Amino acid sequence: MEDSLYAGRSMAKILLQATTMPLQKFLLVTILALFLPLATIGQSPKHDLYVCAAVNRNYVIGSKITTTSGLHMREANGQWVHVGINDPSVFAVSFDPRDHDTFYTAAMNGALRTTNGGKSWRVMTGWDITEPKDICVDPHNPDRVYLAHPGGIAVSDDRGMNWTRRERGLPDRGKYTQSVEVDRFRNGHILAGCESGVYLSRNDARSWRRTLATEETVNDVQQSPNDPDTWAAVTQSAGAFISRNGGRSWSAFDQVPSEAALYNIAFDPTDPDRLAIGSYTYGVLVTEDGGATWSSRNEGLPEPHRIWRVGIDPDSGSLLASLYQKGLYESLDFGKTWKQAGLEGSAINSFVFLPKTRNYPGVAEIGFGIGSRK
Amino acid sequence: MLLYRTKLDFCFFGLIFFQALALAQPSYEGPHPSLEIVEDPMRRRTEYLARVNEVIEWRAGIVKRGDAEKMDMASVSANLSLNQNIEACNARGLELMENPGSGPFWMLPTTCVAFTGRDKLSDEAQQAIRLAWKESYQFRGDTENHFAMYYTMLYLMSELYPNEPGSEWYNGKSSQENLEESRDYLIDWMNIATTIGQGEFNPTHYIGEYAIPMLYLQSWAKDPEMRLRGQMFLDFLYAGLAANTLNGVLRGPNARTDDLSVVERWNSLSSFFSWLNFGNCPPTRGFSWGNYYAIVASNYYLPEVIYRIAMDRDESFTQKDLKRSRHRWRYSDVGKAPIYKTTYMSNDYAVGSYQGGMADPIQSHVWDITWATPDPRGRHPTIFSIHPFSSQKAMQAYFNVRPDTMVKAVAAEGKPSYDVADKLVGCSPYEEVFQHEDTIIALYDIPPGTRFEQVNGFFSKDLENLTEDESGWIFARGGNAYLAYLPMTDYRWKPHMAYKRLPSTGDGYRYERVESGSQVIISPGNKNGTIVQAASISEFDSFETFKSAIRNQSLTFELEPKPKVSLSSFRGDELEFRYGSAPKVNGQAIDYDRWKLFEGPYLNAEKGSRKLEITHGRIKRTLDFNTVKISNSIAPIY
Repeated sequence: MEDSLYAGRSMAKILLQATTMPLQKFLLVTILALFLPLATIGQSPKHDLYVCAAVNRNYVIGSKITTTSGLHMREANGQWVHVGINDPSVFAVSFDPRDHDTFYTAAMNGALRTTNGGKSWRVMTGWDITEPKDICVDPHNPDRVYLAHPGGIAVSDDRGMNWTRRERGLPDRGKYTQSVEVDRFRNGHILAGCESGVYLSRNDARSWRRTLATEETVNDVQQSPNDPDTWAAVTQSAGAFISRNGGRSWSAFDQVPSEAALYNIAFDPTDPDRLAIGSYTYGVLVTEDGGATWSSRNEGLPEPHRIWRVGIDPDSGSLLASLYQKGLYESLDFGKTWKQAGLEGSAINSFVFLPKTRNYPGVAEIGFGIGSRK
Repeated sequence: MLLYRTKLDFCFFGLIFFQALALAQPSYEGPHPSLEIVEDPMRRRTEYLARVNEVIEWRAGIVKRGDAEKMDMASVSANLSLNQNIEACNARGLELMENPGSGPFWMLPTTCVAFTGRDKLSDEAQQAIRLAWKESYQFRGDTENHFAMYYTMLYLMSELYPNEPGSEWYNGKSSQENLEESRDYLIDWMNIATTIGQGEFNPTHYIGEYAIPMLYLQSWAKDPEMRLRGQMFLDFLYAGLAANTLNGVLRGPNARTDDLSVVERWNSLSSFFSWLNFGNCPPTRGFSWGNYYAIVASNYYLPEVIYRIAMDRDESFTQKDLKRSRHRWRYSDVGKAPIYKTTYMSNDYAVGSYQGGMADPIQSHVWDITWATPDPRGRHPTIFSIHPFSSQKAMQAYFNVRPDTMVKAVAAEGKPSYDVADKLVGCSPYEEVFQHEDTIIALYDIPPGTRFEQVNGFFSKDLENLTEDESGWIFARGGNAYLAYLPMTDYRWKPHMAYKRLPSTGDGYRYERVESGSQVIISPGNKNGTIVQAASISEFDSFETFKSAIRNQSLTFELEPKPKVSLSSFRGDELEFRYGSAPKVNGQAIDYDRWKLFEGPYLNAEKGSRKLEITHGRIKRTLDFNTVKISNSIAPIY
C-alpha cells in the first residue's frame, strides 16, 4: 500500500506541475483529495500508531473518564488503548524489531523495558541516569539500545541490563542530549541532537564528532525514510537544517524561522518532498517541495497553535499534530483541514508507527519502520 | 550508654506525658519559649522528649479534635506509635492503600506507617502496604530532596521486604537490587555534600525533606553503617541549622525559600526543627512535616555541642561555608557551581549572603540582614534587595524541559512570584554580592532587554524610625539593630503585596495579592547597587550617633562602566568591590579558591575532606564520613 500510495502521490505531483490552469488545478486537487484517502479504504494499515502522551486533563477512552498518561496505542476503530504504566513523563518509546512485545521507554525514572507488551516493566537504569528524553533500539543489532539523557549518551549492549556512557568526542559541557537516532541503513552510524549541536558517530557511539554547531539545544534529529542520506534537524534557536550526506554536513532551511524553538521534524514516508515541523510558537510548518518553501498549516486548529509534536502516518500520509494540553489533531490533506483525533487534554511527546509485522532482519530493504519516531 | 539513655527516657516518660496533657494550647500558639540555656543534660532531654510527645499526641488526636474528617498517614503513624486505636489504624491503612500516590511524598509517609505498624497493624493492612509498593509506580522526581526521600524510603522498604524478586516491586528490580542502588545513591550524595557542599543549602522548608529520611535511616536501617550515616548526616544538618539561626529562626541566604518565609523569617519548617531540637523558638502551625519526624524523634540525641552552638550568641562570629548550586544540565560551563556562603551572627542581628549568581533558578534567597525579635510570629525582621530575574533559558539549565511552558507552569505549581516584577524571591546572574562581617555590598549589571530591569528592596513594616536621609542613606532601627541602606540609584516606594493562598479550583495553585504592611523600593537602573550596614544599638550612644558614623564614612561609588564601590567603613575596614572583580578587604582580594567547606569558630572542614569538626568551647565532635565514625572530645583545662 505504501508503494501504491507513494506512486499515486508522485503521479499527482507530476500532474499538478504540468497543470497551469487554476481551474484545472483546483479540480485536480479536489479529485486527489477525494481519491487518495479512498485509496486506503479496504486496505488495512501496515503500522500501529503508538504515542507517548501526558494526559493532564480529563481524558475519555470509550465511555470511561480517566487521566491515564504514558504509552497509548490507536486501535482500528480510532479508540486509544493505554499500554503499561500510567506515567506522564514517558518521552519516547522504541521497539525491538524481533519481538514487538519488547520495547523501551525514556521516562523520568530512566530507561524502562517491558518484555511482555507492557504487562510488566523494569527500570533498566540506575540512580546515575535521570530523565532521558530519547531512546533508540539499534535495528542492526537489537540487543543494543541508545539513550539520550541530560548527562549525555548511554549505550546498552545487553537489552538494557547494563549501560555505559559513550561520549568520547562530546564536550564535557554541552553534551545534554535530547535526541538520538540510529541510521537505519548504515550499521554503526548514529546521530545525536545535543545542547551544542548535532553529533555523528560512525562506530556505534564509541566516538563522536560535531557536524552541526548550535548555541542551544538541537531538539530533534530524524532520518528520511525515503533517502538514507537525508537527515533533518530542528533546534531551539537556530532554525531547521537538512543533510544530504548522512549527517556529515548540514544546510539551513532558509525559510524556516529561527527566533523561537522548533520541537520536532517529520518526513512523510509517502512523499519525499513533504516534511512537517512542530513548534509551540509557529504551530505546524510544512514543505511540499523538499524544503525550498515552507508554509504554516494552522488554519482549522484551535488557537493558540501550540504544537507539541507532529507526525506523519506512513500508511495514509495523514499529518498528526499534538496541541499542547489540548489533544491530537489529524489532517488528511497535509494541514489544509484538521479534525480531532482523541487524547483530549494531552501533550504528545512522540509518535511511533510500528510495522504490524516483525521485520528483522531486512531493515534497510523496508526502509521505514522499526518503531521509528516521527 | 544506650541502656542509660533508655532508662533515662523511661523515667521521664510519665512526666512528659502529663506535661503534654497539661498543655492548654499547642506550642505554636503558646508563649515564646525561654532563651535560657539549659545546662542540665537530663532536663534538656526531658524537655526534648516532651516536645516530641506533644507533636505525636497532637497528630494522633487530629480526628477526635475535629481538625480532620479522616486520619491521614501521619495520624495513623502517631496512633500506632502510641499503641492506640489500632483497629482504626488498620481500617484507615487499608483505605489509604486503595489509591496509592506516587513519588517521594507518598513513599515517605507510607514508609512511616509500614515501620511504625510492622508489629501492630493487621496482616491485611500490612499486606495492603506491601501490595501498593508492588503495583503503584513511584516517580523518583528531579530534585535533590526528591532523590534523598525516594532512595531512603526504597532502601528501608527493601530491607523490610528482603529477598523478593523484581516482580514484587513497582520498578521491576529485586529487593537486593533496590537496596544496593539506594545505598549507592545515598552514599554518593553524602560524599558530595561533605566534599563540595550541600546543594539545597540552608533551606527554610526543605530541611524536613532531608532530616526525616536521615532520622528514618538512623532509626530503621538494619545495616549499622547506614544507621550511623543517618545519625551523622542529621548531626551535619543540625550543626548547620545551629550556626545559621538566631533565637531559632533561620537566617539567609537560602538555596530555597518562598514568598512568605523570605519576609516572615520564622514561618518555615526550619523553625519546627529549632523548636524541637533547641527549644528556642515557637514551632510552625500544625508542625507540618514535623509530624513525620516526631514519630521516631526520640531515637535522636542532639549532641551537646550542637545545642550550645544554637543557643550561644554571647560573642559575634563569622561562619563561612562552601555549598553548591543545583545541578546545571546545560547552558553553563559548570554542572555544580560553587556557592561561597558567609554568615555573620551577633546577639541582635545576623547578616548572611552568598556571592550572587544562580544557585537554584526559582527559590534562592541571596542575602539579607535580619534582626532578633521578642516573638518572631507575624514579623518581617529582614532587609535585602534583589534583581527580579525570570528566564526560560535559565530554567532549562536546571530542568529538562522545553523552553516555552516552564515559566507559566512554575507559577501554577506554587511559586507564584517567579515571573512578577516586584518579586522578592530568587537569584540573578546579574547580581554580585560581597559581605564583610556586617556590611553587604550588592552590585547589579543588568543587560538592557532583560525581562525586568530593576532592583527591588524590601523594607519591613517592623522597622522603626525609618528615615530617608539627605545623604542618600535610608536609616532605620530593627529590633536592637541600627540599619543603614543605600540605594545607588533613584527609587520609588510601593506597598509590599504578599501572596494569599486561595482554595484550589483544580487547575493549580491560586493566590490573591494583599498588602502586608511592609514596603518595597523599586529602583529602575540597569547598573545599580545596594549597600547595607548594621550595628547593635549598644554600640552607639544614640540613633543619631549611628547615622553620623555612617555619613562620615569615606564612600565613593560609580555605576559606569561597571558598578563599583569603595568604602572606608565605620568599623575601620577598607572595602572595595567592582562588578566582575574579586572584592578586596584592606587591599587584599578575596581568594574564593581557598574557601573551605566550613570555616569559623564552630564548624570547620577542608574542601574535599568529608570530615566536619563541630566545636564549642572545649567540646568537639568530629563527623568523619570517610571512616563513618563519630568521635567526641573535651579539651582539657590548662
